[in-house]
Amino acid sequence: MELKICHLYGDVLNLYGDRGNIITMKKRLEWRGIDCAVEKINPGQTASLAGCDLIFIGGGMEFDTRLIADDLRAGRAAELKAAVEDGVSLLAICSGYQLLGRYCQDGKGVKTPMAGVLDMYTVCGKERMTGNYKFVLGEKSGGYEVVGFENHQGKSYLSEGVEPLGKVLCGHGNNGEDGGEGARYKNLFGTYSYGPILPKNAKLCDHILLTALERKYGLKELEALNDRAENEAFAAINARLG
Amino acid sequence: MKLKVVFAIIVCKALRLVSRLMHRGGTAMPGRYALKICPQLLSVLAKNVQTVVITGTNGKTTCSRMVEEAFEREGKKYFSNRSGANLIDGITTEFVINSSLSGKNRCDYAVIECDEAASVRVFAQMQPKVIVVTNLFRDQLDRFGDLAHTRDSIKKAIGSVPTATLCLNADCSLTSSLADDMPNRVLYFGMNRGAAPNKEKAEISDGDICIRCGHEYEFEYINFGHLGGFFCPNCGHRRPEADFAVVDIAHQSTEGSSIVMDMQGERRMVTVNLPAMYNIYNAAAACAAVCAMGMDKDAAVQALSGFKCGFGRMEQFDIGAGARMMLVKNPTGCNLVMEFLSNIKERFSLVISLNDRTGDGKDISWIWDTDFEQLTALSGRIKSLVVSGDRAEEMRLRLKYAGFDENAIVTERDCEKLVEWMKGEDCPVFIMPTYSAMLDIRQVIVKHCGGSEFWE
Repeated sequence: MELKICHLYGDVLNLYGDRGNIITMKKRLEWRGIDCAVEKINPGQTASLAGCDLIFIGGGMEFDTRLIADDLRAGRAAELKAAVEDGVSLLAICSGYQLLGRYCQDGKGVKTPMAGVLDMYTVCGKERMTGNYKFVLGEKSGGYEVVGFENHQGKSYLSEGVEPLGKVLCGHGNNGEDGGEGARYKNLFGTYSYGPILPKNAKLCDHILLTALERKYGLKELEALNDRAENEAFAAINARLG
Repeated sequence: MKLKVVFAIIVCKALRLVSRLMHRGGTAMPGRYALKICPQLLSVLAKNVQTVVITGTNGKTTCSRMVEEAFEREGKKYFSNRSGANLIDGITTEFVINSSLSGKNRCDYAVIECDEAASVRVFAQMQPKVIVVTNLFRDQLDRFGDLAHTRDSIKKAIGSVPTATLCLNADCSLTSSLADDMPNRVLYFGMNRGAAPNKEKAEISDGDICIRCGHEYEFEYINFGHLGGFFCPNCGHRRPEADFAVVDIAHQSTEGSSIVMDMQGERRMVTVNLPAMYNIYNAAAACAAVCAMGMDKDAAVQALSGFKCGFGRMEQFDIGAGARMMLVKNPTGCNLVMEFLSNIKERFSLVISLNDRTGDGKDISWIWDTDFEQLTALSGRIKSLVVSGDRAEEMRLRLKYAGFDENAIVTERDCEKLVEWMKGEDCPVFIMPTYSAMLDIRQVIVKHCGGSEFWE
């Protein structure tokens, strides 16, 4: 078995620890004897998403997003949309998550059109939402508790038809208002938990990997691993959040 | 106004006295209250002092100590914020302590380390004579927003001091471009092609995108991170010539480096009394700063060979078989510390202590951008691998995914026990702590085997 992971816009959207998610997915596949190939596709590159089983998009800095908006317009948006509708797994974090929506509106009120994969929009808020936070995944995504770190000024609003990934237990999530965190649509997972969400949330990592393995090989279950270090890292920060 | 100044100074001095009587540092708090009374206090106190201010992501403290050494050797009357309190309140405290009640400073010069985020307020009030920006890397994003935001702050800060001489890192596109559209005099420092072995571009790099046009940079050579001979194939923006350029690294050891530096056309052999590549950059920055302050090149060269280690920066302790503390706070700095470790030939033990308090950055995701994988190549020489600090579990998890056996990693959060263990180790111990972890461990070491308090 082999999973092909595409790290989309990896040289631009890699703000702080996003690499930890790639390392974690790769290791957890390898420890189970499943091969994993990671390919980076950057803005301006014409490489196709066809044949990839899982797409990962990380977070980025504000001055890099214009590059991305141009690339989305040049055809990547349509390709992403087709892949998601086709059931390809996708994990998108922070500004990678924002770019899946219809548009982002900056502090001056200027709207930049985004990929339109999700029926969602993002507006720049007044205050930065920063800190360790916690949410509980919806049943469809395993129902586990997830701890992460959020750091965003954008507030995202989902349309009626889009489910949040989970419910905020403490912290802000999508917008600090409706209690929703992230988005879940088909095998798309969007979240504001920026940087390395997967290492200490091993169950979520396995859940996402399984969606891709099920689609490709019909796999229903993953072999259990010794997750002592993962669980203790989760427990340490979880205890602090109360 | 005058009355307010005097009142603020009295309050500040009194609070400092009380702090010291209670055996506290009292580095930032007195200044904070003084600024509440008189918000423009620093501008009054800095009026007759010629100041060199040092900011940037990495190397602020070490570069400051190097510059300070030159002032010391030249017999100049100067003061500095040695305690590391580098926000406007801590800097104000230092100015007050060195002033009379009427606000007249006892010193002619000041060497001030300034936090990037504080630069806007500090520069505008202090009106420094020389501004050094060491480099810009991703660092503590939860505090600063992001790197673009940090850079904008420094740019705005520089904009308030058109008369200052800028000493900028030529090899860092984010730093050297700070001089764009500014009337200031500029001295660039850097490391020329061929001085150091060319490195591969790091997987995570901060200065990839042309600051002027947004196109991707190409590199003629890379020294580390995004530092090197960058040029933009689209708009032509490229690394400026360095006025203070390291042209050759003749010798590197665990004690220091011998380098050849071109100083405004004069070639000098320079000994840097601290090991590791990043300190060669700090040395070049310090040379530029010392000369920009009006001292001669000999003063700069002598300072570099004579200065002592900064607080927690390659600091050595006489405990057990010897310990060395190497502050880590962001991926680039941490990678360079591990590169230094890879040159250690003997067996050693390693402590990594990760905290997530305000001084460290509350976000610890940077450990996933750091190449701890390179430590696995040294595992045959690492006797014990210990994780410590508030986020010890997360550190252990990172090491597990880097390739270490999680059961071979020891977790020890108690600093007393940690130091007790260090006393009994029969090989050198290297400690890689984040800022507040450094303070915690250092305090216990000092209690056991001597050393100065943090404000000394």
